[in-house]
Amino acid sequence: MMRSVARLDETFLGRLRRRDPEALRRVVDEHSRRLYRAARGMGHSTSEAEDLVQDVFVTFIESIERFEGRSQVSTWLFGILHYKSQERRRAVVREELNDPVDQVFESQFDARGSWVQSPSAPDQHVSAREAAEAIRDCVDGLSPLQRDVFQLRQIEELSAAEVSKIVGQTITHIGVLLHRARTKLRTCLEGKGWGRSR
Amino acid sequence: MMTCKDVSTLISTGGLSDAPRARRLAVRLHLAMCRHCRAFRRQVEAVARAARAAAAALEAEPPHDFESKIAQRLRR
Repeated sequence: MMRSVARLDETFLGRLRRRDPEALRRVVDEHSRRLYRAARGMGHSTSEAEDLVQDVFVTFIESIERFEGRSQVSTWLFGILHYKSQERRRAVVREELNDPVDQVFESQFDARGSWVQSPSAPDQHVSAREAAEAIRDCVDGLSPLQRDVFQLRQIEELSAAEVSKIVGQTITHIGVLLHRARTKLRTCLEGKGWGRSR
Repeated sequence: MMTCKDVSTLISTGGLSDAPRARRLAVRLHLAMCRHCRAFRRQVEAVARAARAAAAALEAEPPHDFESKIAQRLRR
């Protein structure tokens, strides 16, 4: 059966499989900086991120035979990055079925599904620097999986379908993880007084 | 009829863009009428802006010879 290789030119894939240095260099040039930024966003230090991204490309080459070209190279690379990142953090990748933050969200609504108290409208005059400082500690409160999903969905702006492939979770669960991350961040920022009028 | 909880969950899970047209319209209608849910949406957008600002403020660029180092390692 003919298999369509819609996402990646077959000739280029062949060159990658033969370890053609020019083809490899093209993949490195196209993706390494984005992967590095994502690794930093996932909480790794500069040297860790550098090392991690090198590792990603080594694994990419080692596993190139399994890459069928049906997904984008970036999806494959982000998948390796996520796996390596979890490995380094020695994190339990399995997310708890219930997170206490679900209760926090639930408690904001009455039995008819209406807000108990209106969410505080964020202060539009907070500078980018202030906002960045406020959220930095809050991000550390996310579980590793929530942090990766938040980074990939919110910062890298990847689709839920892509992130689902990358982290090996269903699209529905990607939504749950993003929702939990956002609820934790909103709650944390509110706790810092962010959003209250001054 | 969608409740505030339905609308906020849909916004927060990022599922709005993939929702059927009728559901998206129902959300728009609800948002037009509900200031609490509009405030919630602004909160979610503010969190996104803050996260992007934090990401931009990180030392997020690798050293200038980063690609060469990787290429070198791949040749080993």
